Amino acid sequence: MDGFSYSDIFATKGIEYLVIIAFLALLIPFWIVLNKQSKMTRQIQSTLGVLSAKILRIPQGLFYGKNHTWMYMEKTGAAKVGLDDLLLHLTGKIKFRYLKPPGETINKGDLLAEIDQEGKLLRIFSPVSGKILDTNSLLNDSNGMLNDDPYGKGWIYKIKPSNWIEEANTCYFAEDATNWSAKELERFKDFLARTMKDYTPETAMIIMQDGGELLDHSLSALPDEIWKDFQNEFLNPDQL
Amino acid sequence: MNNNYQIAVDHDGKSIWKFLISELKPKGKFFTLFNIISLPIMLLGLGLIVIRFIYGIGSITNLTQETPWGLWIGFDVVTGVAFAGGAYVLTFMVYILNVHKYHSIVRVTVLNGFLAYVFYAGALLLDLGRPWHVVNPIIGNSFGVSSVLFLVAWHFLLYMIAQLIEFSPAIAEWLGAKRAHKILSGMTIAAVIFGITLSTLHQSGLGALYLMAKDKIHPLWYSEFIPIMFFVSSVFAGLSMVIFEGSISHKVFFSQISEKNHHAQNNIIRGLAKICAGTMFAYFFLKLLVFIHGQNWDLLNTPMGYWFLLEMLGFVFLPMTLFFYSYRTNNTTLIKVAAILTMLGVILNRLNVTVIGFRWDAAVHYIPSWMELVVTLAVIFTEIWIFRWVINRMPVLRDSPSWVNENK
Amino acid sequence: MGLDRRVFFKLLGATGITLAIGKETAAKPTDKSEVEFFGILYDSTRCLGCRTCEYECAAAHGLPEPPAEIEAVRTTNETCNTVVNTFQTSKGEVYVKRQCMHCNEPACGAACLTQAMHKNETGPVTWNGDKCMGCRYCMVSCPFDMPKFEFHSANPKIQKCDMCFDRQKAGEKPTCVTNCPNDALLYGKRRDLIKEARRRIYEKPDLYVDHIYGERDAGGTGWLYLSPVPFEELGMNTQLQQSSYPALTKGFLYSVPTVFVMLPTLLLGIHQATKNNNPKEENEDEQ
Repeated sequence: MDGFSYSDIFATKGIEYLVIIAFLALLIPFWIVLNKQSKMTRQIQSTLGVLSAKILRIPQGLFYGKNHTWMYMEKTGAAKVGLDDLLLHLTGKIKFRYLKPPGETINKGDLLAEIDQEGKLLRIFSPVSGKILDTNSLLNDSNGMLNDDPYGKGWIYKIKPSNWIEEANTCYFAEDATNWSAKELERFKDFLARTMKDYTPETAMIIMQDGGELLDHSLSALPDEIWKDFQNEFLNPDQL
Repeated sequence: MNNNYQIAVDHDGKSIWKFLISELKPKGKFFTLFNIISLPIMLLGLGLIVIRFIYGIGSITNLTQETPWGLWIGFDVVTGVAFAGGAYVLTFMVYILNVHKYHSIVRVTVLNGFLAYVFYAGALLLDLGRPWHVVNPIIGNSFGVSSVLFLVAWHFLLYMIAQLIEFSPAIAEWLGAKRAHKILSGMTIAAVIFGITLSTLHQSGLGALYLMAKDKIHPLWYSEFIPIMFFVSSVFAGLSMVIFEGSISHKVFFSQISEKNHHAQNNIIRGLAKICAGTMFAYFFLKLLVFIHGQNWDLLNTPMGYWFLLEMLGFVFLPMTLFFYSYRTNNTTLIKVAAILTMLGVILNRLNVTVIGFRWDAAVHYIPSWMELVVTLAVIFTEIWIFRWVINRMPVLRDSPSWVNENK
Repeated sequence: MGLDRRVFFKLLGATGITLAIGKETAAKPTDKSEVEFFGILYDSTRCLGCRTCEYECAAAHGLPEPPAEIEAVRTTNETCNTVVNTFQTSKGEVYVKRQCMHCNEPACGAACLTQAMHKNETGPVTWNGDKCMGCRYCMVSCPFDMPKFEFHSANPKIQKCDMCFDRQKAGEKPTCVTNCPNDALLYGKRRDLIKEARRRIYEKPDLYVDHIYGERDAGGTGWLYLSPVPFEELGMNTQLQQSSYPALTKGFLYSVPTVFVMLPTLLLGIHQATKNNNPKEENEDEQ
């Protein structure tokens, strides 16, 4: 400013205010789009809860096999066998493709049942040896009874064990079972981290919440290859 | 599905107009002490306003050419807006920082803030020489973008809109407008962020108004940091007002407040006291810094210097220590005393900058006329009347109707 | 979460850089006009104290006639654009004419939110009644206290000297200049007036105090003063800052867009970060 002619020190103020208005107007859609998840993931996420060790049901009086089966000796001398809560939380709703019929004899480590979810298979191997007395007829008719009540109405087989004491000893019981279940959950998260790195972030969002918490029924959103890997790592008969 | 489009479906099938008219009827006793005192003053104020419009501003004020701004600007606008600062501080804490402890008082504070701005901006119109030209800087007839007052005026306007949006879910609940409620609730966070930004700028903007009056304001109060000072002091001014007004509302509208909120009251006041203590601590040191920077210590030994010390020690330092002490000893009464002292201190500070320290050396000192005081009181009382009307009808202190939770 | 924070900081950075660059370009004044300011040089040594300028100004502007007998030192008011005061000084009786100084960067012009107070390209600061809303912010800001307000009118106006802007547009000189009997007032380009003032001081160093009041006061004014005695003795404020008054608000006004950009972004970020902090608390509230 030389003091001899007009100069406006606030010349650009009007334009600046317009820029601000534009910025604020653009900020809103910018932020919304930034945070948007696809409709499908939102739908899935909204129906599911978070899977954490705290919500697992692990009745203390049962014996738990390493392949996530449980067994319970009734007063009649027959052992009830079923799938544990953790496995069912991971798979979600399943149907039984194959059930061994009553009357058959089975050894520990033999194929006991095949569960299926839209073509994805998992093989359940027996934690106990003996003769199959009965299978639960309600299993395939029910709607979610298995997941709701896996230890009560959701039993799968009644077996007369031939070698109960020795085989029950290889299972987890009471407090050990609870600790083991929590560890298995962590092991599953690691398993996911390893196998998932080859998959898109979209898929990651289906099984993980914003904060990194595992969502319920994680396996149900994953493809067949991962189910096969899961079978080998968690449901291997050699572990039994 | 049809429910979404029928408003007033909760009101026994009455149409919306009948409902609104029935809401206009007064509820409760008419001849309370407050009404008896406030009504004559409001009517007198109205009369004075008519005189002002016929005979000019000078007919009811003591303003002079050297002190063109007096009580109406210095107190109504500048101090009133500082006290309304509780709205932006509380919405910041509840919606941005997610401190849910203060959730129960957000609505009433936002309502207070909204009414404060409406009435003080309204009172501003009385102070304008040609109020019908107030649309000029708004409709684009002439944008004086170089002016701080332009900024402040626009911010007032936008902030009133933002606060209205923040408060509108309560109105929607009152009217039973479910769909509107959903849309408005979704806009809350945007309105809150916008409101906090605007508040920051216009609280400091009110201080920036006086930046050009460098030679006219007493050096102990003038500095280039006036905007920052005004902003910081608006935080504890607003919160003190929340404590003060909250205590009164709590007693007057006792019946509306739920059990849970009753018990939460003391906890809330304590929390606010803590925040006030901290902010005032920072403010005190800011003032100290500015004082040292200004190198005006020889002015301390003058009458104005003593006045300055009174403001700083008696009305900033003292209430700060009171807040601190009462927070530690959990003494609610003392907190309220500290709040009142703080409010007096803020009034004193704002008046010192705008009226007392402004042309303190003028030949004729400005002293507000009784008529200015009456008009100011009339404005305040009208605001309280509207506040009471809203509280008695809308779910502000009361809990929201049950359909709100289903709506989420 | 990681994604959000990264983008958030990127946005902050980008905006910061944009604003820094933007600020640079805004700091330089744009559109320097070719037209130069006009001003008036008032030489107190030539002033007779006859107050003809007061009478002529009042007549030209439709204002009431100034009082014939005066005693005290007067100021302008809502019925009077200019006053000539008498001071008893170390060199005897000295007269000084006071009126709006028509500053180069007028505080009133920057203060006016409706652009009613307007600094014209040629120099005079004029008031536009169609835009004014009577807020009196110009009065608060003016370091010379020159705008005067009609407090007792229902349609009040701001009264001050307008350097006879209408006459200047018609190619004439302001009334006071034309009617001064002793050439105390000189009208011309400000640049030329300063040269003339310096010349007078140089030629008669004993007559004048070596200072042109208004050369730099308040950033420079359109009205320039020469005096035989120190200006304080004439009731003029020599403690004014030597830079423009609107520049005092420049810092604040230019931080406004910055705050408008940074604060919402910051608030959004904090909101996002604390969103998951208290999921349990909500349940406690409901119990």
